[in-house]
Amino acid sequence: MEFFEPVINGFGVVLEPMNLLYCLLGVMIGMLIGVLPGLGPAATIAILLPLTYGVEPVTAIIMLAGIFYGAQYGGTITSVLLRLPGEASAVVTVFDGYALAKQGKAGTALGIAAIGSFIGGTVSIIGLTLLAPIVAGFALDFGPPEYTALALLGILLVATVSNGGKLKSVIAAGLGLLLATVGRDGFTGESRFTFGSLSLADGLDFVPIAMGIFGLGEILYNLEQRHNKVQAPAKVANVWPSRQDLKQSSGAIGRGSVLGFFLGILPGGGATLSSLAAYAMEKKRAKNPERFGRGAVEGVAAPESANNAAATSSFIPLLTLGIPANATMAIIFGALLIQGVTPGPQLVANDPELFWGVVNSMYIGNILLLIMSIPLVGIFVKILRVRAAILAPITVLITLIGVYTIRNSVFDIWLVIFFGVIGYLMKKFGFEPGPLVLAFVLGALLEENLRRSLLVFGGDAAGFVSRPISGVLLLVFLMVIFLPLIQSLFKKAHAKKATNTDDPSRKNEKESV
Amino acid sequence: MFASKLTRRGAVSASAGLALALSMTACGGNVADSGAAADGSEFPSGPVTLTIGQDPGGSTDRIGRALAENAADPLGVAIPVVNKPGANGALATKEVAGMEPDGQNLILLNASLITITPLAVSEEEAVSLDDVEVITGISQDDYVLVANADSGLKTMEDITSADKKFNFATTGVGTGSQLAQALLFKQAEVEGTDVPFDGGSPAMTALLGNQVDLATIQLGEAMPQIEAGKLTPIVTFSEERNQYLPDTPTAVEAGYDVPVSQYRAVAAPKGTPEPVLAELKEAFTAAFESEKYKEFNEQNLFTPTQIDGEQLAADWKGYAEKYKALTEEYGVDLGGEK
Repeated sequence: MEFFEPVINGFGVVLEPMNLLYCLLGVMIGMLIGVLPGLGPAATIAILLPLTYGVEPVTAIIMLAGIFYGAQYGGTITSVLLRLPGEASAVVTVFDGYALAKQGKAGTALGIAAIGSFIGGTVSIIGLTLLAPIVAGFALDFGPPEYTALALLGILLVATVSNGGKLKSVIAAGLGLLLATVGRDGFTGESRFTFGSLSLADGLDFVPIAMGIFGLGEILYNLEQRHNKVQAPAKVANVWPSRQDLKQSSGAIGRGSVLGFFLGILPGGGATLSSLAAYAMEKKRAKNPERFGRGAVEGVAAPESANNAAATSSFIPLLTLGIPANATMAIIFGALLIQGVTPGPQLVANDPELFWGVVNSMYIGNILLLIMSIPLVGIFVKILRVRAAILAPITVLITLIGVYTIRNSVFDIWLVIFFGVIGYLMKKFGFEPGPLVLAFVLGALLEENLRRSLLVFGGDAAGFVSRPISGVLLLVFLMVIFLPLIQSLFKKAHAKKATNTDDPSRKNEKESV
Repeated sequence: MFASKLTRRGAVSASAGLALALSMTACGGNVADSGAAADGSEFPSGPVTLTIGQDPGGSTDRIGRALAENAADPLGVAIPVVNKPGANGALATKEVAGMEPDGQNLILLNASLITITPLAVSEEEAVSLDDVEVITGISQDDYVLVANADSGLKTMEDITSADKKFNFATTGVGTGSQLAQALLFKQAEVEGTDVPFDGGSPAMTALLGNQVDLATIQLGEAMPQIEAGKLTPIVTFSEERNQYLPDTPTAVEAGYDVPVSQYRAVAAPKGTPEPVLAELKEAFTAAFESEKYKEFNEQNLFTPTQIDGEQLAADWKGYAEKYKALTEEYGVDLGGEK
């Protein structure tokens, strides 16, 4: 029972009125900025940091954490209704969420997403409670070679995730990888493709690219298509999903939660990668994978459960090891330091009230979000049902201001416009923007860690295979490539034996590879 | 036909949005600039902006914010902090250096940008102290060479007598961490490969996970792990022992000529009038003496060091020359093999 005493005391901390209020404030701000494209949780938390100087450390972190996981909820709403992912981690939700919305089932998609997010978050909190004290050793075994293997696997999954032609996806992903090379080489200090501009010295930032290609590009495209509404569906009736929908997605929610939990723990993993992986996993598992991208409920349930689970579990490396797993965690790390609290191995022992207070606040926060999100969806939809002529410029404005606030850089505004045009052209010629953006993120990770690994190995690539975790990951990588090939060969042989007629759908599949 | 008309309308609304966003930023600038007299008699004429060329949350940012907060009262106006990360701070420094020299816009400088980064990057990306007026030095923070406690390495002798090749993590190309380690290992004749990471925290993670053998990171960042017994400090790179690690020898004491620290300073654009600089310096001096600022530094293990602007400029130039001479003498190339 001794183990649970600090946990219970932690609940006492959260239930103090002040903390409860800040928790509510945090999740509401989070949800709102999740809805508004352009402003991410990292930027918001950075902007709001000065507000937290005057309050107790635990109160401050409860609010900042609320913004972070609240944004995961909010990001979904714009993904489903507007096809504008408010957060990078909601990118894959677009595929099926928007398709559902077009079929008039926006309510179902949002309801499933809210329930999935709640379950994902809850699973992670329980996991965090049990695992936090013992997880330390595991996360540290992830070194450069493991990240190299993980990034390779991620880029491969990009191709399976996208819906357009495989060739066009590969081209888009290739472009993303090329964009990732811009900036100062982190190993030699040499400038690459910066054309003498200091603004490009650190490379291209993810946010302007994502906001340009997804946000601005989509708005331009829609205006041309004479979609007078920016795809806000007429009705969001029936937010409670039907029993059949729930039954259909329950497996996806469970698997997504567990996957998200584990990927979130890994430094550098986080919500984006896990939502992507969960989506790909469901698509692979599905009996009729062609339903994905055309409104499969699982396609919303899995990534939403996973990104929320990962958002929560990414606190584990921060709070137990003092290692921020992603940009937002880095800012929360800074917030803790401002408060005079140093996250690290001793935090659980030295400051149990803070540790368990923050952990348990996430539980309360998730309940608040679930209660709020369903009635609030109606309000958000009302905001979003404004005519395109009004909504489009406002969205553009918010996007541009949002991107400016992140680095106070006018250059980033031009980047958004530039990538907006690229995104528009890609849409027009039938390229999916998803692979470009995701390959861009993973490309930098891959290059850095590959070169770092080779430095550590002294140039001997055999090290990738001999290390257990990277070896296993590379094996999975090979399996993902070859299993479908073997399967289809096997099926083909089988089908030939059974009948001599050609299956037209399989023929199509072969051509598109 | 119709489609093209609508496209045009879309473009118009998009550019209207942009124009609004731009005009808003322009307004933001105007508020700070307006009404400043050239002789500085009306200084401060509004909030004084302190630009920081690093991301929010890092040590530079935290020092800058704490300083701004405590200097605002003595100066009598607010000192908002603006982060403009890019190119190790070169972007922000060049931008502020080009602003009106009226004291309304200040920049927080990292010495490494002036003394070390030019050794790794091309000339046009380097920043010179000649472009700014240094108001005052504010801090000196030391790097510490650490090993994983499991490795059993405790002193420089353990390393030199180990007779093996070491992988050492640095916090990036052109940083004090890289320079200090590269010089130390060359001088100690230890064979090593430098493995750059993107900042102190990933470098420390790699060391904790035994992905690398050694790492050099800022003392404040390493301290929690040192206190937890997970990392062993081997040497610090300051000229004198660090107050927070009094039992750890400096590299100089151990017999190696490697004096590398991270110095920070506040500066204004070149040509800022003398009375304005004096007024700003006075405000920062008052901040230094405030209890709150002292407490902040102790809590975060920073070492505030107030140095006169001119002295500091001479010091930094001296370091830049010294590092250049040392890297040439020992054949250290921070850019690695190109």
